[in-house]
Amino acid sequence: MYSERLKSELSKSRAEVGDLLRITKPRVIYEGVLMPKTILSSSSALTLKLASGYNVSIEYEEAMRIEVLSKGKPVEFVPAESLPEKDPTKPSVVILGSGGTIGSRVEYLLGSVYPAFSPQDLVLAVPELKQLANIEGRKIFDLFSNDVTVEHWKILCQEVQKEVRNGVDGVILTHGTDTMCYTAAALSFMLRNLPAPVVMVGSQRSSDRGSSDNYVNLMCSVLTACNSDIAEVTVCMHGTEGDEFCYVHQATKCRKMHASRRDAFRSINTLPFAKVWYRERSIEYLRDDYHKRGQGEFYLDTKMNPNVLMLYEHPNLRPEIINRLANEIDGLVMVATGLGHVHTNHFNDPLGVSIQEALENLIKSGIPVVFAPQTLYGRLNLNVYASGRKLRAIGVIGDGADWLPETAYIKLMWVLGHTKEMDEITKMMMTNLAGEISDRTINETYLA
Amino acid sequence: MRARSTGQREERQQAFKCGLEIHIQLDTRRKLFCGCATTMAEKEPTGVVVRKQHPVASELGEIDVAAQYEFLRDRVFHYQVFRNETCLVDLDEEPPHPVNPEALQIALQIAMLLNCDIPPEVHVMRKTVIDGSNTAGFQRTMVVGTSGFLSFKDREVPISYLTLEEDAAGIIREEDGIVTYRLNRLGVPLVEIGTGLLEGYSPEDVQEIAYTIGIISKSTGRVKRGIGTIRQDVNISVRPEGRVELKGVQDLGVLSKVIRTEVQRQLGLDTVKHETRAIRPDGTSEFLRPLPGSARMYPETDLPPIVLGKDFLAKIRRELPESWTKKLERFARELKLSDQLARQILRSDYLSLFEKIVNSVDVEPSVVASAFLSTLKDLEKRSGVKVENLTDQHFEDLFKLLAEKTILKEALPEILKDAAERPDQRIYDVVKSLNLGLLTESELREIVSRVLKKEHASAEKAVGLVMSQVRGRADPQMVIALVKEMSKSYR
Repeated sequence: MYSERLKSELSKSRAEVGDLLRITKPRVIYEGVLMPKTILSSSSALTLKLASGYNVSIEYEEAMRIEVLSKGKPVEFVPAESLPEKDPTKPSVVILGSGGTIGSRVEYLLGSVYPAFSPQDLVLAVPELKQLANIEGRKIFDLFSNDVTVEHWKILCQEVQKEVRNGVDGVILTHGTDTMCYTAAALSFMLRNLPAPVVMVGSQRSSDRGSSDNYVNLMCSVLTACNSDIAEVTVCMHGTEGDEFCYVHQATKCRKMHASRRDAFRSINTLPFAKVWYRERSIEYLRDDYHKRGQGEFYLDTKMNPNVLMLYEHPNLRPEIINRLANEIDGLVMVATGLGHVHTNHFNDPLGVSIQEALENLIKSGIPVVFAPQTLYGRLNLNVYASGRKLRAIGVIGDGADWLPETAYIKLMWVLGHTKEMDEITKMMMTNLAGEISDRTINETYLA
Repeated sequence: MRARSTGQREERQQAFKCGLEIHIQLDTRRKLFCGCATTMAEKEPTGVVVRKQHPVASELGEIDVAAQYEFLRDRVFHYQVFRNETCLVDLDEEPPHPVNPEALQIALQIAMLLNCDIPPEVHVMRKTVIDGSNTAGFQRTMVVGTSGFLSFKDREVPISYLTLEEDAAGIIREEDGIVTYRLNRLGVPLVEIGTGLLEGYSPEDVQEIAYTIGIISKSTGRVKRGIGTIRQDVNISVRPEGRVELKGVQDLGVLSKVIRTEVQRQLGLDTVKHETRAIRPDGTSEFLRPLPGSARMYPETDLPPIVLGKDFLAKIRRELPESWTKKLERFARELKLSDQLARQILRSDYLSLFEKIVNSVDVEPSVVASAFLSTLKDLEKRSGVKVENLTDQHFEDLFKLLAEKTILKEALPEILKDAAERPDQRIYDVVKSLNLGLLTESELREIVSRVLKKEHASAEKAVGLVMSQVRGRADPQMVIALVKEMSKSYR
């Protein structure tokens, strides 16, 4: 906020954001467009954008004079409306927008980020998309990915259902990258026997810069949506730091492994389905075990119980905390160490603490406890150490699974949406439903 | 300098207006937006990242998207990465870290020395760049001073602005649509100083103004030296319409010639197009590209504005280095340098190293100054020695040995030459391997006695013979004295 004096000075001269001002100080005269006040800037200064393009702040002083030279025009975006006419020889792809960096643009004058990039705008930004397919699109919502909830997943599923029932060749979902894999995994359990690819795509670099990864990611996701027969939910993002190819990841085996790199998304414990070369416009399959177009009867099953908690095992975690959860949650995913361990004070050390009893109490009260590995890579095995055997004996679910913690969390919500019976929960959890559990791991998948 | 009188007569006929933009690399430990070293010394890249860039739609329409599209479509960028000098920030794989405070302080010092207005807060901007020399597609830059001046010949030369910005990646080659860049220069802090319109000055005056801006910046002791560390652009117009930007004058000594040549060129044209021209080494220019409109600039959304506190600014102001005019006086008074030598060392890249050495080592300042000014120049010009290989440590050790009388000043050129050719050696090792250490008195006596015994020569001849064996390793006065003394016993 401006200081009182500066505020009254500005209102006296009727200066508003966007106006061209002249500010006369004893030694200097500044002319420029008044910028909006930003949160972290000084309250006794105003900021002008000079003719050179630079933003410069000017400290308020008594002897300063403010004049409005001309009023500014309001800046607003008019999203692109019309898309080119359809080419009947090309496949059809629908882009559904849910926000994120790929769905945002910078307003250059003021520098604010608008979450307003419509799917039509994406096509305008990457005109080559039109060469690949007839593209339609609409915005479903504008959200930071952290704000996406179970209810949003359901809406997305319904929108996808609408499109594939209409016979579209593929669907693309733009999404913020931080929780993209949660949404991808959730959609994998909800959209059963998909008849067409549903490709999730995002971007790690904003679209205002020439180096944005949105170009390559969008090209590759459209190629996957219209040309591949991977009728599953997948994540299509940069394969390397360079602009060469994208990987198409299996939704339930994919994770954002870096805070900022373009190639942050990696397949864990498996290979990606394919590499897509955007310049060559070709798809190189790395696996063949995906669900293909036309297999099975498509249906929607969006029943979910969101009342599940993920808890990270760590030294000193007190059992009382777990005991308190009994009245709060319907399911627990314990992100355990190594092969699937938590502290059980196996040797009865006088300084030791055990959470074994607390977990057992949860299970006895009907709350399933599912284990997933902190190591991300590798497979749980509760037979190797005594503590693992004890945990298996009290009914912990997950022995032998190679799932990601986030996927186990999504799956438990979905399973709890279908049953409350512990035996049935255990059976469903340990059955591979969306590629989340595999029975073998090949060596080249580690840190790939 | 050219004969003054004729020069001035010419200019009265050839009035011109110009503006200077001077870019100076700062000598900070870290880059402007990350923790990488600014040494730019690594030779072998550890890898190459291949990227494309794409046009970005512009609401303001200031950059021609179609031209961007054509340009970028035909080019692939290969970025070389280095272990110590590049990181994810340089690769546009990580957001910028907060502005390096060391760089900000140096830039503010220079802005204050140029009497600039310092804004209460600094806004980092993104300036769109489409030639691939910035991995992000834009360069980060910020204004830290406006509306300054410097005194020159009883006039005030206006300084419009001083910006702190990141240097671009250095281009290695462009072949078959593949442009290869070294990323180690990207992100090195740089100040850009822009003068206001210079009117009524001669080309020589403009060159002097450029030198003075360089001297003022160097007086902080925190700017880099060597080829490419100072680059300047000059805008010239002889008529009200048509402004030409000449880019990349690396050698200040040719600036007046560049201006003279361009003024002549423009006078010979019917109309002058707005354009950018590159400077050839001989001072003439060639067409580079049309001048862009005011470059598209928008705020760097990854960094909040930096509020410059009053205490912070007051502290920098208190600790400003002495002005260059005071320094000039002091060099004459305290260091007993001739006015010419003092002016030359002020302009030299080695100014801060010179000051460090004369303040810490007991050695004749004029000897140090002429080593930096004439010895290095001779080595470079006559023997093609790469003097930029010589480090501060080399010079400091060298003058320490000189102060300890381990070597003689006559030996400096040979030692420097060898050190520049194999810069990994320490000066002590160079002196040892060249056998240039000063001889002890007993070693010298031994040589003198050998010559006297063998040659049975006269004293004068013996001095010559001994000197031919010990040049650079013994004081001639001492040789004469010893020969005189010892020849008596051989008579």
